[in-house]
Amino acid sequence: MKNPFDDFRNHRTREREIPLDSIIQSRNKVMSQITKGYEKLLEEEVKELVWLVQYNTVIKAYTLAEKVVKEFEYKAEDIEEFCYELDTTDKIPYLITGPAGIYISALCNYAQEEEITLKLNDLKTQINLLGYRLPVGKKVSVEGNLGDFTGIGMEGGELGVEGNAKNYTGAGMKSGRIRVTKNIGLHTGEWMMGGEIFVGGRVRGLGKIVDGKVYEDEKVIYPRNYRQSNVYY
Amino acid sequence: MTQDHYREKIRGIHDFIKENLYFNRPDLEIKGEKFNSALIFSLLTGLNKGKELIIGEPGLGKTTSAEYVGSLLYRIPIAIIWGAEVSGHPEQTEEKIIGRPDLGKLNKGTEEVVWSHFAQIPVKIVDEINRLPETKQSMILDGVDRGNWEYLNEMIINEEYCLFATANYQDRGTNTIIAPMIDRFDVVIESRHPGPNIAYLVGKFNEKDRILRNSKAENSIHKILKSKLSYQTKLRQMEEVCDDYGEFLKKKLGIETVGLRDRKAIHAAISRLELDLDANAFTRMLLAELSFCYKYGQKRSIENCEEGCHFTGYLCHDTTNCASNRLPTSIKTYSQALAWMIGDTVVGVEHIKAIMPYTLAHRIQWREEYLSNKERNKRDNPFQIYLAKDAVKSIFNRYGEQSEHLKSALAVGYRLFKGEDLEPVDGDHPVYFEIKRDLGLED
Amino acid sequence: MVPEEIIKKIWPKVRRKHLFPEMPIPKVSEGTENVALEMKDKQITINTAFSDKIAHKMGFEEVVEALLDHGISHYTYCPWDFHTHLRLFTEAKQVVKDKEQAKRAAGLFMDVVADTYCVKGKKTPLPELYKHIDKGKVDAVIASLYQRIWGIDLCAKEDEEVVRRLARIPYLDKKQWDKSIQKFARVIKALLEVEEEEHRQEGNQANPMGEHGLDGYTLEEIDQGLRDFANQNVGLKEFKETFEDFKDELKDIGYGMEGGMGRGEGTPLDADLIYYMKLAENYSIPIKKVPMEKRGFLNPHSHCPWEIGRPFQDVDVWTSFGKIMPGITQTWNKIEGSTFGERESVPDCIIIIDSSGSMTNPRKNLSYTVLGAACASDAYLRNDAKVAVYNFSDAPMGGKTILSFTSERAKIYGVLCKYFGGGTAFNLNELDPLLEAAKEPDIFIITDMKITNLGKVIGYFNNINNRVTAVYIGENTYALRFREAMEKKKNMSFYNVTKKEDIPKIVLGKIKEYFRGNL
Repeated sequence: MKNPFDDFRNHRTREREIPLDSIIQSRNKVMSQITKGYEKLLEEEVKELVWLVQYNTVIKAYTLAEKVVKEFEYKAEDIEEFCYELDTTDKIPYLITGPAGIYISALCNYAQEEEITLKLNDLKTQINLLGYRLPVGKKVSVEGNLGDFTGIGMEGGELGVEGNAKNYTGAGMKSGRIRVTKNIGLHTGEWMMGGEIFVGGRVRGLGKIVDGKVYEDEKVIYPRNYRQSNVYY
Repeated sequence: MTQDHYREKIRGIHDFIKENLYFNRPDLEIKGEKFNSALIFSLLTGLNKGKELIIGEPGLGKTTSAEYVGSLLYRIPIAIIWGAEVSGHPEQTEEKIIGRPDLGKLNKGTEEVVWSHFAQIPVKIVDEINRLPETKQSMILDGVDRGNWEYLNEMIINEEYCLFATANYQDRGTNTIIAPMIDRFDVVIESRHPGPNIAYLVGKFNEKDRILRNSKAENSIHKILKSKLSYQTKLRQMEEVCDDYGEFLKKKLGIETVGLRDRKAIHAAISRLELDLDANAFTRMLLAELSFCYKYGQKRSIENCEEGCHFTGYLCHDTTNCASNRLPTSIKTYSQALAWMIGDTVVGVEHIKAIMPYTLAHRIQWREEYLSNKERNKRDNPFQIYLAKDAVKSIFNRYGEQSEHLKSALAVGYRLFKGEDLEPVDGDHPVYFEIKRDLGLED
Repeated sequence: MVPEEIIKKIWPKVRRKHLFPEMPIPKVSEGTENVALEMKDKQITINTAFSDKIAHKMGFEEVVEALLDHGISHYTYCPWDFHTHLRLFTEAKQVVKDKEQAKRAAGLFMDVVADTYCVKGKKTPLPELYKHIDKGKVDAVIASLYQRIWGIDLCAKEDEEVVRRLARIPYLDKKQWDKSIQKFARVIKALLEVEEEEHRQEGNQANPMGEHGLDGYTLEEIDQGLRDFANQNVGLKEFKETFEDFKDELKDIGYGMEGGMGRGEGTPLDADLIYYMKLAENYSIPIKKVPMEKRGFLNPHSHCPWEIGRPFQDVDVWTSFGKIMPGITQTWNKIEGSTFGERESVPDCIIIIDSSGSMTNPRKNLSYTVLGAACASDAYLRNDAKVAVYNFSDAPMGGKTILSFTSERAKIYGVLCKYFGGGTAFNLNELDPLLEAAKEPDIFIITDMKITNLGKVIGYFNNINNRVTAVYIGENTYALRFREAMEKKKNMSFYNVTKKEDIPKIVLGKIKEYFRGNL
């Protein structure tokens, strides 16, 4: 039979390859890896779509997340984009903010860059547990609001939030610095063992702080004016 | 004689008709040159041995435009063309259209056919074809398709021929031309109202076709046609008279016309013109959209398109029937002829774009919902031609976005067909799926 | 060479490059140095002052070619139509929140897409042009972006962080434009805010490559764009917001309520009405044709060859040349004559629509009730009938609007979209004048049937012979009662709708039946 494409036998594609093509290709590849990593985490950690913030579950989830993120290379923009992908659930089956936050924290902690800026102002959901175990020498700046357990278990480093954070901010942090430009919620610094929390707006309530400092609008509110947990101002 | 010379002659014919016989506004622009669609397509039909359906309101020059083109392009005196016309009415018979028995000989017990002028001369005009019953429409179209006419076991074979059929819009006296019939027309065009100023001119010069009369040539040809000579002999003799008529036209009117050999050379030159890759790929894209169905394998008029289909953005969703194989032939031949007329050496996408709506308009059946959405849109053409132009525009837009990608897909298809181990190129458009089907690689 | 001659020389080459777009040959004009080209109704106009300014750096012909490549890419690729333009604007506004910034972001995005498409697929001097034109802050960032994604040195200083983010966006993937422009807007938002501030202080600086206003579209394209936009599952609120953002420009170019120049000048544009109008235009039924009727007796129609065994009585002796023999003899084919039926004009229609508190407020959310009524009214109007509207809530207390028979679409929609939100009661006396004003009008009533004076309504409808189609929403005792009372009446049809989305289809289905005379 005659080749129906015979007329095109000598055609050579004339389209130029421009850097945009490889940028997009590599971005798609990385995003796919990040997404698969997240799905893997969910598969192993989340039973029946329920995940509770407990000491063990958080550590277990983070250990797995660490393992996953070490397998591929990515950049800070990839992390930001992943946050937005989580928001739309087109490509990702479901968002469970706990494991998502742990995963994103692992991504931040193991990113090549020492300074990471995440512009999350337009995110519809608020990410919990961001900044978990942020190590020394790492700086993460977030534009937008975050959820609960922000900066939980920080080991050094600096976490900046241009917006609000919710409850249990800085819980269990060992060292490092958290700056929140607006307000934070209750149980701030719960079991905090070191480090500093700076809040530009209001602190709704302090938790059981072991050590460290909390500032509200540049004034030290802990330890100078120690207050019982959940006392409202 | 060179092609340029032939082209000049054909252009001369075109310009002469435009200036002296068929007055109308230009409504088609190609490469900066403006043409009247009815006139240019009639010329292309004449050059291509095509079949043209001319629609329009009564009295707007549908038949006369075809008569002028036929007369000048084929060097046939206009009165002969008038005499050979078949008019559409239900009482037409095969005997009036094709031929009849020689009654004298029949009474003596011998069968001999007296062929009609319509069957014998190359220019065939059917006036108001939609008033003919289906059987007669079919008979004419069959004959013109193959060029042979049979009656009482005798046959004549036309070497060259073209058909111009006119049709008024639907009125109480007309039948519809059914789909299998209408598909056989290469193009449909409208003979439009020329506007009041030009119409006034038409009225002012209402006996203008007299300039094409030549009673000597007319009588000679009439004698030849009704004689008992063999058809081949008649043709030879007729050609001689036509050459004389050509001389007459040159002397009296200053137009240079073309003879049989010239027309053959032109036809050969036209058919040698190649389509460039864009024209080629664009045509394939159109054909894909008009024949593809993801769910049912191909488009069929008895199958409905599902609302949730992935391909609802393409023409296959808006149409109900499948494109026939006559469509690509019409597109190719007419765009080649157009390219030749303009003086181009390659058929490009611009020629295809200009031709396509006229080859499509009568062949597509649209879904009701699509029709009712577009019915009241502002337009400058009859509805069916407007829809076809709109469809071509939207497909062309899609082509523009992915032309290189499609050409790559076709190039890879060539190599895959030869047996190379490659991956076919993916794409969303139906044409990529069809390429895979051709290669036996569909999912 | 004078500019016109240069354009004549370059235009065929550029046209061929872009596969022969349907655009007239560009013109030249002398304008300010700041704006390179304008596009209005597909007519590109090159500004010679701008071209002259750049020409000493790169050659006049190259400048013109680059500008034409840019202009044509907008036409052939992005945005291509008004619907795309609206979509991009809407997505951008979701991020930047400000109308002017959204327009600017959408314009910049379209520039990036069109230019990148051109650079990737065609041979163009566009990069050279971007190297030499004067740039504001945002334009400089865009130039840096081009430098990055095209891989061509444009002498642009890179704002590394912004450009890195912008470079990741898949500009040439049309399917992702909605998401892409959101990302784009997110990244340049801060820059746009700074630019806006600068403009406030120093005055507006025009985009050198031309603004992306509505001038580039014809009124028909805008109409089609709005129709597609409304049909896109865009909510009423979003449509309204976007429409309001473009209202001034639409008025400036003469877009009226009926969608065309001169057809609405002076009538204020009502976004709600336009929304329902455009949405209803997507549900249309064909115009009723004049029916053909059989006359009931046979007439000779055409000839067919006679075969042995066929009867003789219909043989046509004349066309058979007096011979009875197969192959010669012709016989008459007789068929039943047909003629145009009495031209039944489509009757007028009364639409009774419930706008009580239990129904959706059409100005707040998409009301399928109003949409169904709109579809019905369009169907009748398109068939040259007139429509009257009785919009009721608590009619005896004044919660009603009556519109007498009219063919003015805007007025009909105005009444359909009225919302009272009160109780539900009919004032039947008010229907009488409407019924008398037309010859047996059809009646469409769309309600949830929770009418307080239902008994009287039932009695009323029992006494009329007009074709009535009742579409009621949800099952309830009132609806059941109405249906039971009316079931035996042949002129009444009932449709219970559980999914409101079905209302337009039901209404149109019924109208189709009416128009085909199947009742």
